[in-house]
Amino acid sequence: MNPDFHYYATYCAAFLAGYTHDECLEIAYSDQLVDLCSETLLRKLKAPTAAATTQLQLELMDTRTDIVGLQNITRIWASFHFLPRDLNAEPNRRCSKTYINKYRLICGPNGDLLKSTVELARGKGPQAVGVAMHILADTWAHRYFAGTPSLVINNTDSYFSELIADGDGFTERKITFRHSASAPDEPENSIYTSSLPVSSEKSIMNLGHGRAGHLPDYSFIRYKYLPAWGDYEETVKDNPSDYKNAFCQMIYAMKYLRGSVDTFLTEQYDYAAIADIEEEIDTILMKRQPDASEDWKALGERLSGREIAPFDIERYQQEYLLAKEGEADETFLGRFILAALAQKSMVTNRIYRSGSMLAGYSVTYRRDRSLGIKAFRKLIDRKKEGDRE
Amino acid sequence: MSKFQHFRNALLGILMVFLSLLLPAVPEDSYYLIALIISLMLMVHGFRMLWFYLRMARYMVGGKSILIQSIFVLDFGLLTVSMVSMNSITILLYLLGVFAFSGVIEILRAFEAKRVGAALWKFKFISGCISVLCAVVMLVVVIFIGSNDILVYGYSISLAYAGAVRIITAFRKTAIVYIQ
Repeated sequence: MNPDFHYYATYCAAFLAGYTHDECLEIAYSDQLVDLCSETLLRKLKAPTAAATTQLQLELMDTRTDIVGLQNITRIWASFHFLPRDLNAEPNRRCSKTYINKYRLICGPNGDLLKSTVELARGKGPQAVGVAMHILADTWAHRYFAGTPSLVINNTDSYFSELIADGDGFTERKITFRHSASAPDEPENSIYTSSLPVSSEKSIMNLGHGRAGHLPDYSFIRYKYLPAWGDYEETVKDNPSDYKNAFCQMIYAMKYLRGSVDTFLTEQYDYAAIADIEEEIDTILMKRQPDASEDWKALGERLSGREIAPFDIERYQQEYLLAKEGEADETFLGRFILAALAQKSMVTNRIYRSGSMLAGYSVTYRRDRSLGIKAFRKLIDRKKEGDRE
Repeated sequence: MSKFQHFRNALLGILMVFLSLLLPAVPEDSYYLIALIISLMLMVHGFRMLWFYLRMARYMVGGKSILIQSIFVLDFGLLTVSMVSMNSITILLYLLGVFAFSGVIEILRAFEAKRVGAALWKFKFISGCISVLCAVVMLVVVIFIGSNDILVYGYSISLAYAGAVRIITAFRKTAIVYIQ
């Protein structure tokens, strides 16, 4: 997904869930920041790099694909962009344990981890809500791909067709992929950019949906293809429908997070909240445009009657940099970092407990001693403070 | 390319240049050494691909291509090692064939790169053409002039060129497209 959905559409969903204009802006900002909070940015802020929620292209080029590098990649991408749907999933046939561990990281909506993600964000402020909404939305956009470099899971072949609405049905148009970074996508001709085909299992070219290009990030597109893990069964990805479900599930989840719903259940969508604007949302979702920011922005401003300021990555940086010792955690970015650490800690732990080392070791907090990466001690300190209170 | 891949390419390039110098110095014995090294590399690579197929790729759409590639590479390695017991001219002709084949593959990959809009296709194309041209010229020399020495020097120059290309590749920045 792109800033159009992660920033402007999240603002709309938050407003429909009952948040105020300022709260909506903070949630939308945190949602979009997940796509920008790299180790490079955290180093600039002198913040713990363990809180990174994404990796820049240059960082990925530099990343070693040894075991430690691969675990770091998996922790980031599986926790924030490709949340695994079912860590106990079994392929249709008997497979090696190595294969099964990767298969279980395939992203999808309405999994147990999504429920844990939303529940983890409750009562922790707009930053945690934004992080959770980013992850929720991506479970729809990035479904069928895994947040770990893997040829056998994430690869695609040339069997790729776009389904273009034509009256009551659809016409098929072959999708052509090219690998030139500078060439823009051409939706009118179904020509898109994707990562290079590399037959190495652990190449970063085989991370996430790179082999399918930006197709999962466009709300308007419907396509069918053969995912590498799919046993030659044709898979149809209906983005307009998936994005609409994501939007309505976000409204429901945010109603839970602000306390107007008691429990969060999966497969619940607040369609009633968009009844009056459903047609407009459908129009935005189905309009063939790589960036729908203007349309979502206009809808959000009409809903709240307030101007939505564009995303500015530097908006909260001075506050964090100028904070006194011990007070940085209470700033906007400090709270975002804590939310990111908590999410990464939770997902890594669940993957580890499923018997997979793909995201690395996870140690459980014990009262008598502290273990694990130093940056995560912030979470322990928070817990201790909470226990004392 | 990872740091290891850069290092491996540079090392292979240096090894190729070294062998190109060794070949004219000891023309009678060096063929066997070259054939052994090539066969060993091919077999290790073939076994690694086969292991990957058995553990992972056999479950994947299009995974059979990994099996076919691994068997092909392994067979090629075994064929190369069997050449060691033959006379030197047979080995040399075989190595020429391998060299020409690698040139053809390079040309095909250049066309593939051109098709997908990659900027470096011309470099690949020229490199492949030079390899094929060298192999053909040397073959003509053997057939029509009957001089083995020219063949040895010709092969050495080709090997040195391939080694130099590999070293340049090892130190070249590689443009990577990543879709976030």
